[in-house]
Amino acid sequence: MFSKRKNKIVYSESELIELSKSNQQHFGALYEKYFDTIFRFVFKRLGGDEAVSGDLTQQTFMKAMVNIQKYEDRGFPFSSWLFRIAQNEVNLYFRSQKTNKTVDVNENQLKSVLEEMDSSSNMSMENQEKLIQCINNLEPDQMDLIELRFFQEMSFKEIADIYDISEANAKMRIYRLLEKIQKNWNK
Amino acid sequence: MRKFKLNSDQKELEPTQEQILRYKNFNSLSENHKKLTKRPKKPLYKDPKMFLFIILIGLIALLLFS
Repeated sequence: MFSKRKNKIVYSESELIELSKSNQQHFGALYEKYFDTIFRFVFKRLGGDEAVSGDLTQQTFMKAMVNIQKYEDRGFPFSSWLFRIAQNEVNLYFRSQKTNKTVDVNENQLKSVLEEMDSSSNMSMENQEKLIQCINNLEPDQMDLIELRFFQEMSFKEIADIYDISEANAKMRIYRLLEKIQKNWNK
Repeated sequence: MRKFKLNSDQKELEPTQEQILRYKNFNSLSENHKKLTKRPKKPLYKDPKMFLFIILIGLIALLLFS
């Protein structure tokens, strides 16, 4: 009855972002909320390299913290901004590597690409290898889109938010890439 | 550069909660951020060596452009 209870104020995400601009300690709540999601994203993109995923995730949040002043709410979720930073960090990491890094994909992930291509081909080992070869022949930024859609299983809306484009545009880009893969496939 | 490779093992690539928690550390991020954004306590012109250096640069600039 007489004990003093501190009422913990619960801020909304947009309030936390605004507060983080003046006091970095408020960024902690955003960090807690999104760390797992960004770590998973980076981990999958790196094919399960735990230590590098940890470093790149921390680096992502460091960049977000330093640049939070520049963040503008343009109707996209805050997470899409973090995904964009993480995506850039991973791409920088890949570019800095002198040797090719391999990222594992499994049959189910390839199946989804093949289904979307509307291909009648079966998923034989040979076809899977051929499909991987077609994807590996794409430009790095094109591979990113295929990866986000089919290997990271993101929706068109999420991809659109990361690239700051419309959902229709994201769909169009991905379907054009699938057409390109199909063309290479039929060669 | 990266290349995709077929993994015949059907397991989905997911980090465990333990792996995630191993790298989750806001205090270290906050400390690094402080180090990165910390402004020098003493203004440059209050350091005698830097003061002389700034004067020297100023004099050179004055000689060059006058």
